Amino acid sequence: MEGPVANTRGARWSNYAVAFVITAVIFATALFASNYFNSRRINDIRATQDTISTDILSLETQFDLLQEHSCKDVAENTTLPSVLTSLGSQLSYMEAQGARNQDEVVRLKRLYSLLEIKDYLLMKQIATKCNLKPVFILYFYSNTGNCTDCEKQGYVLTSLSETYPQLRIYSFDYDLDVSALQTLISIADIKNTLPALYINSNVYYGFQSVDDIKKVLPQLSTLQKTATTTPEK
Amino acid sequence: MYVLLFLSLYFEVFLLVSFVENGRNRRGNIVAGSGVADLPTVAIVVPCYNEETSIKTTLSSLAALEYPRGKLEVIVVDDGSSDDTLAVARSFSEHTNIRVFHKANGGKHTAMNFALEHTEAELIGCLDADSVVDANALLEIVPVFAHARIAAATPGIHVREPHTLLQHMQNVEYHLSIFIRFTSALLGSIFITPGPFSFFRTSVVRELGGWRHGHSTEDMEMALRIQAAGHLIANVPRAVVHTTTPRTLGGLYHQRVRWTYGWLRNAVDYRFMVGNRAYGNLGIIMLPTALLSIATGIYFFVRTAWYAGQSLIHEIVRVQVTGGIAHPSFDAFYLNTSVFWLLTLMGLALILVLISAGTFIGTGRRVPPASTPVFLLLYSFIAPIWLCAALVRATFRTGVRWR
Repeated sequence: MEGPVANTRGARWSNYAVAFVITAVIFATALFASNYFNSRRINDIRATQDTISTDILSLETQFDLLQEHSCKDVAENTTLPSVLTSLGSQLSYMEAQGARNQDEVVRLKRLYSLLEIKDYLLMKQIATKCNLKPVFILYFYSNTGNCTDCEKQGYVLTSLSETYPQLRIYSFDYDLDVSALQTLISIADIKNTLPALYINSNVYYGFQSVDDIKKVLPQLSTLQKTATTTPEK
Repeated sequence: MYVLLFLSLYFEVFLLVSFVENGRNRRGNIVAGSGVADLPTVAIVVPCYNEETSIKTTLSSLAALEYPRGKLEVIVVDDGSSDDTLAVARSFSEHTNIRVFHKANGGKHTAMNFALEHTEAELIGCLDADSVVDANALLEIVPVFAHARIAAATPGIHVREPHTLLQHMQNVEYHLSIFIRFTSALLGSIFITPGPFSFFRTSVVRELGGWRHGHSTEDMEMALRIQAAGHLIANVPRAVVHTTTPRTLGGLYHQRVRWTYGWLRNAVDYRFMVGNRAYGNLGIIMLPTALLSIATGIYFFVRTAWYAGQSLIHEIVRVQVTGGIAHPSFDAFYLNTSVFWLLTLMGLALILVLISAGTFIGTGRRVPPASTPVFLLLYSFIAPIWLCAALVRATFRTGVRWR
């Protein structure tokens, strides 16, 4: 235990200066650490995208060689929808966090959209050739603040993707400056009334509940549910 | 936001730097103890109002104090109690050095001034009737008055027998206060002389005109007046006093609104000291930071509450549209590593260091109380409640009551 203390109250300026330097170092450390962790996240996303890109390339190659391979092999090697969904969530998180390296996040998001489109087109081709029946939903949203129901729609689609792991949901930022995406929007004739869902060649505008989607997408019932999902009555 | 974070962290670092820096020179600052023959005469005032349940223990601890009987007197001032406080106090009249007085209710400062008029002791101290002292506490605290510039001395205050979670959290807070008070003394910047066992040079108190109402915080007002007059206030953590703390949130809220209200109103009264270099560390950093800490506490509470509310609304919407609660999962990717949160964590780590230092200073133990994590987690969400209430009341000068 300490002894009794009495001191004068004159300011010792060196203490003020030392404390300032230490505090500045703490701030710099926090800034550096935050940037470091963000960079690691970006690298994680980039690595996942590389994997997906490789998977798609592999799938394309296999598709080209389809005559010599069985459809079963191709179907088993398709990119898992959950990986794409997870990647989308990670990018949304980075965007919402407002990280300092937003330009890099937007660049990764563009690449993500391209991978989604590529996966979508390839899966459609494989489905035709191999007589598969993949179930697709194309979801168009906006982050510009004029889409009040986009958040709710996102929750519904996330819930569906968790319930039906084989459901292929592709989400697109309507305002993203990617020519392939704008072409897709043009071909599918998606108007700027968001949220919009493109299901079985039909466009549905505004919020769609789980039940609404089940009605317009009866193929959902053919998909296997996750083990933890509560059976419907 | 980052300015407030920087200032908060800066203050914590400044205290630590001052503690370490002064620690090296501390030997020169310790006032040598006096022999028994040189000990001054001391009067300990026990102002009480309806304290029938606690005053017996308080007076018993005073009767057991190690100090020459001829140089110590205890003055019990019953401030118009309506219960049996007076009778319980009078049961101690067998002790020749305990005197019991009764007066009409007028507030604690009037009880202290009443005692001041009835003593010739060189030092006058106060012990709230809800506190008890260690037997050697007086012998520890008195020698600092050998230093001529010291006009007052404060003890090491501990929570007495904590039972409830709230009391355990206050126990941690008091350990933090021990560090802050100790370091403030090193910097000559103590601006509160708490009711439990603070002592004053009687001549200085008389020169300054005795105790004042001080917006129901006469201990703060007196300390500021002592500092304004150029005297020093010491801290003696080895003089241990145990004080009863509120058991319930309502009781704590009432106590802290009074403390914070008193601080704010006294800060207005003594605003000429805030930021004034003439008052050294007290004016330059301690008083401005104490004021800023109220704004900081409220700001971060509101900010956190806002984000927590937003998250709650999002979760409610999510449950409404999906009909289910999300499965809990952990993914390191989503850990919050924003600059704000990292700085907040560093700030909490620094507070943990200060609590540990306070625990060591106050008890000699190297490990802080077990309830420290709960304190760090919850207290910053509880404190802003009374900070906001006190700020509003101080703005409108509503006044506060003791009970």
